[in-house]
Amino acid sequence: MMRVNKVRSIAARAAAVMALSMLALAARAELLIQITEGRVDAVPIAVVPFGGADDAPENISDIVRADLHRSGQFKTLQPGDMLSRPTSADQLSYRDFRVLDQEYVVVGSVKATETGAYEVRYGLYDVAREKQLLTESYRPPASQLRDVAHAISDRIYEELTGIQGAFSTKILYVTHNRRADRPYQLQYADADGARVHTIVRSREPIMSPSWSPDGSKIAYVSFEGDGLPKIYVHDLGSAERRVVAQYQGINGAPTWSPNGQKLAITLSKDGNPEIYTLDLNNGALERLTNHYGIDTEPRWMPDGDHLVFTSSRSGGPQIYELNVHDKSTRRVSFEGAYNARPDVTPDGRYLVYVHRRNGSFHVGVQDLQRGTFDIVTQTNMDESPSVAPNGSMIIYGTQHRGTGVLQAVSVDGRVKVELPSKEGEVREPAWSPFL
Amino acid sequence: MRSFINPFFAVILAGLLAACSSTPTEEDTSSTDTMPQETQTTPTQPVERPEPAKPETSSIPLTADNFHNHPSNYDGTTDTRVIYFAFDSNTVPAAAFETLRAHAAYLKENPNAKVRLEGHADERGTREYNVALSERRSEAVEKFLRVQGVSASQINTVAYGEEKPAAFGHSEMDWAKNRRVVLNYTAGRP
Repeated sequence: MMRVNKVRSIAARAAAVMALSMLALAARAELLIQITEGRVDAVPIAVVPFGGADDAPENISDIVRADLHRSGQFKTLQPGDMLSRPTSADQLSYRDFRVLDQEYVVVGSVKATETGAYEVRYGLYDVAREKQLLTESYRPPASQLRDVAHAISDRIYEELTGIQGAFSTKILYVTHNRRADRPYQLQYADADGARVHTIVRSREPIMSPSWSPDGSKIAYVSFEGDGLPKIYVHDLGSAERRVVAQYQGINGAPTWSPNGQKLAITLSKDGNPEIYTLDLNNGALERLTNHYGIDTEPRWMPDGDHLVFTSSRSGGPQIYELNVHDKSTRRVSFEGAYNARPDVTPDGRYLVYVHRRNGSFHVGVQDLQRGTFDIVTQTNMDESPSVAPNGSMIIYGTQHRGTGVLQAVSVDGRVKVELPSKEGEVREPAWSPFL
Repeated sequence: MRSFINPFFAVILAGLLAACSSTPTEEDTSSTDTMPQETQTTPTQPVERPEPAKPETSSIPLTADNFHNHPSNYDGTTDTRVIYFAFDSNTVPAAAFETLRAHAAYLKENPNAKVRLEGHADERGTREYNVALSERRSEAVEKFLRVQGVSASQINTVAYGEEKPAAFGHSEMDWAKNRRVVLNYTAGRP
């Protein structure tokens, strides 16, 4: 019962987000997502096609199978290779899946109800122990079948890995199609690339999108109108937005504090790019850095007491940590001559940033506990890494055949996922918090 | 040294300069559209300045290395609105000095003229850091004009980083075209 309530609130939130009025336009283009490298020790799981799926507008079992596959943690069995296709527990023959070396089976059904809603039931079964691990049911309207599918993926993922699933999250990103009348667009989509929504279209650049910690608002930089940069805070539910910074010079790199009360931003109004906090309740500005070098690209550490940021105070760009209370700084990155645009995992253990090696830009991961540093991408021109709210994956922008695309890689570098775009450039992905 | 690449780059360069001198950014056309009318209605002195002699530069080959400071980019007139910068540099190239002096002279003679210095970076590196780098370029050009005696009220700067490339490719030559400051006259265009 608890679960159903939780899903209802997720669905309600998603419905509110979808109710974006004037500025929101459903786009045809969806991101295609394909996994290029999974773990060798990926867990074999069979998601059997759900009974009654042909009558529902969304194929839940296909979505769940794709979610689990895309995580790189699971090796999913194709329906064509299954010996039997049970749709309920009493039809399940464990033997049919054991001979195919499957460790887990998901079985379920979808049924239209008299009220126009759907009844979705499923169970997760352990093949070796012949034991039911999970069983749940949902009653979503047709418009929320996709949300239910991602919620099921989240439950299965958590049950089998012990880590909260992030399949119900969204990705915010900027697209650039220079042949379009308004080439720059700010969009978001489901974490699997489906259901693309456009938030803003502009003739002038849009940059640095960032989520509020509760996922209800975003902040970004837009040069629309007079061609000068302004920082906006945009409510996704009401589609209302306001300018929170338009000073002389740079207004850039907004990022939300963990408690949602402040933005850390970059301003050059005092003659040089410096990091400030902006209190969203009373508009108070506080300057945190004071150096003639470039200070920009702040990110809050989960404790809310520290920021990491890019600074050129030692010459080239390096990552520094800043105590927001006493404003003391210390250098964090030491490998190579170019380290910039940090993000941090939700547990605060890993810093993820852009690292240049031999003229190529890669995503690097620094373990703050053990002090190690590893490059986790083989792509070139990588930028804007953003960590999933469960810390499992990093999404980032890179180039493929001269066009900006999104890719994802696990923090340990063992799983790689491609997200090629159908039209124009895609860049600056920002992974949402849990919604 | 044979200058066999010249005809090819002459075409690119002509296109580039034409693109640069046509319109400023799309968004501020509303403000610029009104200004030329004003300059037409107020009968200022006709053009009596002698045309500065444009140096003969065809014998100097244009390469990716010297693209940013090739003399053909800077002919000592206000016709040239784009100043190119070397990789990782915010130093105004010496070859652009004559051109920037011509802009400074024009701005001093026309106190109603206003110029927006739009700094740009190439695509390498992170986006907000590139915004900061490109601001240093527009500030370097601003400093040059101010030293020449141009009033601060006639100059604005904006930093676009890598967000508005002039060339969309990913070669050294494309990058050289994108590391630039554009002098965008928002009022009293020459």
